[in-house]
Amino acid sequence: MATFPISLTVNGAAVSRTVEPRTLLSDFLRDDLGLKGTHVGCEHGVCGTCTVLIDGQSARSCLTFAVQADGCAIRTVDGLAQGGQLNPLQQGFWEKHGLQCGFCTPGMLMVATELLERNANPSTDEIREAVSANLCRCTGYYNIVESIQHAVTLMKEGAK
Amino acid sequence: MTATIPKHIPAEGYIPASRQQEAPQKAYKWIGKNLKRVEDPRLLTGNGQYIDDIVVPKMAHAAVLRSDRAHARIKRIDTSKAKALPGVILVMTGEDAKKVTGPTAQFASPPVVQYCIAVDRVRHVGEAVVAVVAESRYIAEDACDLIEVEYEDLPVVVDPEAAIRSSGDAVLHPERGPTNVAHRHTYTYGPIKDDFARADLVVKRRLRWGRSGAQPLETTGTIASFEPGSGKFTLYANSSFLNYVGWLVGASLGVPAAKLNVIPCVTGGSFGSKLFTHKVMTLTATLARAAGRPVKYIEDRIDSTTSCDNHGSDRIYNCELALKRDGTMLALRFQVIDDYGAYLQFGYGTHGNSLCQIVGPYRIGSIEMELVAVLTNKCQQGAYRGFGSEVTNWMLERMADAAADELKMDPLDLRRKNLIQPDQFPYVIPSGNVYDSGNYPAVMNEALRLADLPRWKKVQAEARSEGRCVGIGVATCQERSVFSATEFWSLNPTDNPGFTLTSSPESVQLRVDPTGIVHVTLGSPFWGNSPETMATQLVAEQFQIDPAQINIVYADTQSGFNSTGPGGSRFTVMIAGAIVGASAKVKAKMLRIAGHMMETHQGDLEFRDGKIGVKGVPGKEKTIGDVSLYAHYFRLNLPEGDDFASGLDANYVYDHPLTTMPAKDRSHLGIFYPIMGHMCHMALVEVDPKTGKVKILDYVAVHDAGTVVNPMTLAGHIRGGTAQGIGTALYEKFHYDETGQLQTATFADYLIPTLYEMPPEIRVGHVETPSPFTEYGIKGGGEGGRMGAPGALSRGIEDALSAYGVRCDELPLTPRRVRELVRAAERN
Amino acid sequence: MKPAAFDYIRPGSLPEVLAALARHGAAGKILAGGQSLVPMMNLRVVKPEMVIDINRVPGLGEIRVDGGELVIGALARHAALLASELVKKHCPLMADAYPWVAHGPIRNRGTLGGNISHADPASEMPAVLAACDAKIIAKSAKATRTIVAKEFFVAPLTTALAAGEMLTEIRIPSAPAGQGWSWQEEAIRKGDFAMAAVGVTLTIAGGRCTQASVAIGGMERAGVRLAKVEAHLVGVALDEARIASAAKLAAELVQPGDSYHADARYKRELVEALTARALTTAHGRCK
Repeated sequence: MATFPISLTVNGAAVSRTVEPRTLLSDFLRDDLGLKGTHVGCEHGVCGTCTVLIDGQSARSCLTFAVQADGCAIRTVDGLAQGGQLNPLQQGFWEKHGLQCGFCTPGMLMVATELLERNANPSTDEIREAVSANLCRCTGYYNIVESIQHAVTLMKEGAK
Repeated sequence: MTATIPKHIPAEGYIPASRQQEAPQKAYKWIGKNLKRVEDPRLLTGNGQYIDDIVVPKMAHAAVLRSDRAHARIKRIDTSKAKALPGVILVMTGEDAKKVTGPTAQFASPPVVQYCIAVDRVRHVGEAVVAVVAESRYIAEDACDLIEVEYEDLPVVVDPEAAIRSSGDAVLHPERGPTNVAHRHTYTYGPIKDDFARADLVVKRRLRWGRSGAQPLETTGTIASFEPGSGKFTLYANSSFLNYVGWLVGASLGVPAAKLNVIPCVTGGSFGSKLFTHKVMTLTATLARAAGRPVKYIEDRIDSTTSCDNHGSDRIYNCELALKRDGTMLALRFQVIDDYGAYLQFGYGTHGNSLCQIVGPYRIGSIEMELVAVLTNKCQQGAYRGFGSEVTNWMLERMADAAADELKMDPLDLRRKNLIQPDQFPYVIPSGNVYDSGNYPAVMNEALRLADLPRWKKVQAEARSEGRCVGIGVATCQERSVFSATEFWSLNPTDNPGFTLTSSPESVQLRVDPTGIVHVTLGSPFWGNSPETMATQLVAEQFQIDPAQINIVYADTQSGFNSTGPGGSRFTVMIAGAIVGASAKVKAKMLRIAGHMMETHQGDLEFRDGKIGVKGVPGKEKTIGDVSLYAHYFRLNLPEGDDFASGLDANYVYDHPLTTMPAKDRSHLGIFYPIMGHMCHMALVEVDPKTGKVKILDYVAVHDAGTVVNPMTLAGHIRGGTAQGIGTALYEKFHYDETGQLQTATFADYLIPTLYEMPPEIRVGHVETPSPFTEYGIKGGGEGGRMGAPGALSRGIEDALSAYGVRCDELPLTPRRVRELVRAAERN
Repeated sequence: MKPAAFDYIRPGSLPEVLAALARHGAAGKILAGGQSLVPMMNLRVVKPEMVIDINRVPGLGEIRVDGGELVIGALARHAALLASELVKKHCPLMADAYPWVAHGPIRNRGTLGGNISHADPASEMPAVLAACDAKIIAKSAKATRTIVAKEFFVAPLTTALAAGEMLTEIRIPSAPAGQGWSWQEEAIRKGDFAMAAVGVTLTIAGGRCTQASVAIGGMERAGVRLAKVEAHLVGVALDEARIASAAKLAAELVQPGDSYHADARYKRELVEALTARALTTAHGRCK
């Protein structure tokens, strides 16, 4: 089977690779690029653990072929922390106990990133809508909502 | 201490003395604080190093071809096309594997034999038939598609009651006997006949607990390497029994423990399903040895739902509760049929587990259980949050509510009447287990206060006046913690009990380095519980140092000490014991050395704010680092003798704080799960009788887990456990059709609740009755809300539909099922 | 679960797409959002030999109004349609149904065209299109034809598209002024496929119903219209009794199929309850 060259950016860095068409974006990120932060939970698009941002929009990387990401800007959890510092979302999750096993957390951080980039001041309903897209087996979700709310506060304080 | 002990148990010396060293205190520096979790920063940045994140050079990848039949002989396997596929390294059938690897570890007696790849026959849909190793998982799956298997179908049994009558070819393990009944025995504790004879009322119910399972978002996996020169295996695995019985994997592989090292990984959730991932470890190691390359095998989601070997309990109860007319509970008698699936890896441990709190929080005087364990063509059971006692919690609450209905009593009043009272502890229940401490009325009162029951009743009344169905359910349940190993075998036949192990310790290695950093090596891994945070808070409290001075490390099996691991809500209690034990030794040495450094008697010294100083004399002190540097490097400045050997370190193996043997005749089971937490869950629900849809309007969970190390993380387990309890009660089921096909194998059909299925909030309350037996009085709380939610929700739905006279005696209460109940009631 | 190997092309124009479809026929599968196709490929339930990625074909994602019709291009994403003011105005039934469709990340990638072509009976949009008398424009290398929604959904997961044909556009007559609408659905969890769903449009004039459209989701076939129920409603005043009898008739007419989550009997009960709700709500919205 033929392979295809792709050029994209991942967390701001330019990447050029050759891939088989069937390589899932989740596997491309994890195995070809060694970015292990994006996790795989079901590989049929239900759990949302593998969520990344493609051109600023949340997407399930297990339902996307790497070839489709050609020319796109991909962002993953691996790129959230800046200069070794947790970003406000990550800090919010840390302070409000938004994770237990941490496996769903990258997907949650990415849907939250999309939400806060669209709307720096989301309502609780909007946060709940975003969080309801993904499964978590540990927390019962409440602390995830609170973590995102806290991140909003941290970002406002940081902006001052 | 004065204990409450039933007459049929010899009272003299029944409860050993407490070994508690650290009594609960009024104030702590670190215990009780909501310390931000030590584990989190690396998890938040995607650097968790879960099993699938680990890369071993030259590693190949495995995939497994699984049976599409529920029960069949394997007639022929043609692997030739698979072997010829470019990129395929190895194709292995069960027969191939059996030549080099024995049966997988198991704890049933007599044993039920299982191989990591099926030999001769398949016993459930999804059982492994062939394993492939290839350059990539993609190619390995391509190879699986090219394998041809010829089966000869055998009769399928999926109904547990039908399994009792199986014969001939329908028997799954004919070598064990001509029946699918793995075990049938009646266990009697206390004067059951007398108690039933004096009852005014016997409430009878048939109850059905459906099969759900842990299904953490991370599946089970292993990376195995085999070094042929030394004959040694190195495994990365997300298993927690590695330092308890990990060497059993070596036994399956035919190697001594010197030739097996298992390295633990950060684990993405377990809830019991990763206690002992022995099948996956055994399979992957077998493949690595044969392939001559390291092999990574990660179960995908379908591998997991069909063959994780960790489905939960699947039970039919026929119960009788004997009461007096005034609501006093006397005795409980029941038959339980448990559908274990195709194998029996943990024996009947899930019933031994139940017997530790089989009377719930009630003063029931006698118990009789007829256990019928059957084997069927389904994935086998393993462990799921509660390990069987969450089922008897539900059963007891259903019976209590049924009794309240038949006696026309308020369900809360009936419970209050029967609750064990605060002055009755330690309380020995008929099966012999001890409840160490508790205040059940206080927990109920706190729940009622948080819920504001009058407000709930008003909501209910208003809804009813509008024709809407709103109900209230209350469950008062036990949450035992710290299992003892006796529960694994105490129900086995006394003439063949199997391996009667009685050790279930937890170990720690504690070392202060020359810079004053305390390195703490744990024998058990991270599951999503918070072992690093717990250990940090406990060590910080012991040494009065800042958490930043503490480094937590995990031991592999080469360097780890006997450690049972998380499970049965035991980890925090056990690591506290180990840390207190190890810290005592190290602190004693530090005081000796500091005494020399400051020319002071060590009795005048104390640990304070990262220093050791003279009591009452601020400023006359040395930092921990000063003392430790001296201890490591200045031997000749200190006296002779082993007490002053260079270094500051101690290992401590902390055994179960309170366990005793079962009686020889099994008239009681001894003390085996005594650190007893308790909860009261309350649910306000609305049910649409036309659609069967249930909405949880409000929810309260009050837990007593003794002294709480970190309230924030405990609340996380309460809420997360409640979410799983909601899943079990309303949404989740592994549903096998009559041909043994699993109808709910994907996440599109096995329905895990999202945020929208949760109540708007779960208000959490705490009551603390410290344990007299554990360090600081800590009790376990990790299993949390799953132990109580099903009872509260079942009653809430029943109450909502009270106009219909519906009984919620079968889980899950899916919309379809609720609608069936309403329809049946409307017909009558 | 990894997909089987396939060949892949990413044409830059519609003629190239159609030429590829003509070449590969049934062995070729269009890849738009992938939210329906890729799970099936990962589970190896489908193994296309050639995947034709249409995501870079310009001009296929438009949402516009043209000559009294709402025109939706094949690549219009669910998220764009959910947010679209044109959809709210010209097809309020679609706007009413969209919050029920899946979750945010799925809606970001998934397309209406792809969803319709997949024809899952439990999916919402086939019923919406059937209720609104939508037309599907299907192109092949040789020809263009129009297929009305009622004829588009032939069997579960099967449409009237022939090998070599692709859906390029969906055209929905603008909802007339004063028309009422309602989407009612029962799914087990929010965002799940429907156990049962009913989409209704109604027009009332002079106190009587002059137009009724009743479409069903979650049954054995996608895009089913209940003509007998519609006939039961047209020409009369819609009081509670008439709505109740229409709902009862709907329950009798549907072909529900059986599954673990919802057996046929339960689905019929849901259809009755949902039809009554939909008719009542739609009636209330009529002007």
